Amino acid sequence: MIRKKARVNIHIDMTPMVDVIMLLLTFFMLTTQFKPDVVAEVTLPVSHSAIKLPESDVMTIVVTKDNQLYMELDSQNLRAKLFGEENKLKLGIQIPDKNTLADLMIKARVANPKLRTVVRSDKDTEFGQIEDVINLLQKVKITRFSLVTMLEES
Amino acid sequence: MAGADLAAPGSGKKKKGQKRKAKKRVNVRIDMTPMVDVIMLLLTFFMLTTVFKLPQTMEINIPPDSNISVEVKMSELMTLRVLADSTIVYNMGIEDAQAITFKDVRPLFQEKKSAIPGLIVLVKVEREGSFSQMVDVMDEINLADITRFSLAPYTDKDKAVVRKLRGM
Repeated sequence: MIRKKARVNIHIDMTPMVDVIMLLLTFFMLTTQFKPDVVAEVTLPVSHSAIKLPESDVMTIVVTKDNQLYMELDSQNLRAKLFGEENKLKLGIQIPDKNTLADLMIKARVANPKLRTVVRSDKDTEFGQIEDVINLLQKVKITRFSLVTMLEES
Repeated sequence: MAGADLAAPGSGKKKKGQKRKAKKRVNVRIDMTPMVDVIMLLLTFFMLTTVFKLPQTMEINIPPDSNISVEVKMSELMTLRVLADSTIVYNMGIEDAQAITFKDVRPLFQEKKSAIPGLIVLVKVEREGSFSQMVDVMDEINLADITRFSLAPYTDKDKAVVRKLRGM
């Protein structure tokens, strides 16, 4: 015996919910800052330093946990010039060895003297690799550079 | 409306000749479900893509040439060796080395900074150490407001110092 179910037409007033959701949506839309694109994912170390990362004219050297080197440039023109036309749309390229990196750094600085150097590395990267990069920076006369860190609250 | 009802009790229809015409209230019900769907989708999108913490940077200056020698007073020089097992071996000038842990670094810096205004810190991180160790020590230096510091390679001499300390 199948009893016919009584169909109750429920009307829920969604207006308050919509209000709240709209509020949240506006909040997120206004506060959102999209995750910056990266060529290789790294876990950043934490520090108390709160200097903002420059937005333009940045050359980023990425050292991953497994000691891979990457170089990122934010300007498309510069990428076309240095990495070749085919890599123009890529954020950065992998660097096979440290001499190539030194070479590219010099070329990049010549092409754009305003370029700021940023080193981004995983917190578990062996320090030796960083030391090599720092020595390389010294060799190509980049005496001022920044390390990317996460702000630690305390 | 209530007034109009009172004027003609019991009658459903209102007289046409009434001065005030009651407005017809149409009960509009808009189905909000599709809108809510879309809004929810947008909300989830923004909630997932948003990052509140953006990476910051720490500035480092290095000398233009590693061959330049600067004469410093031994009494003002503090050598800090950061080992891979996160012990820190430090010594002041020509004094004997001492092993400490990372959490002792902050009070040490504060103490030395107030005792010696022109304190120079030489940081040597073992190659096997991690990047975060170096960042942590640099951070402590920045927090202690020590302006004269330098990164130096960890040499065999430092290894000997540590070995001697461990041997005792």
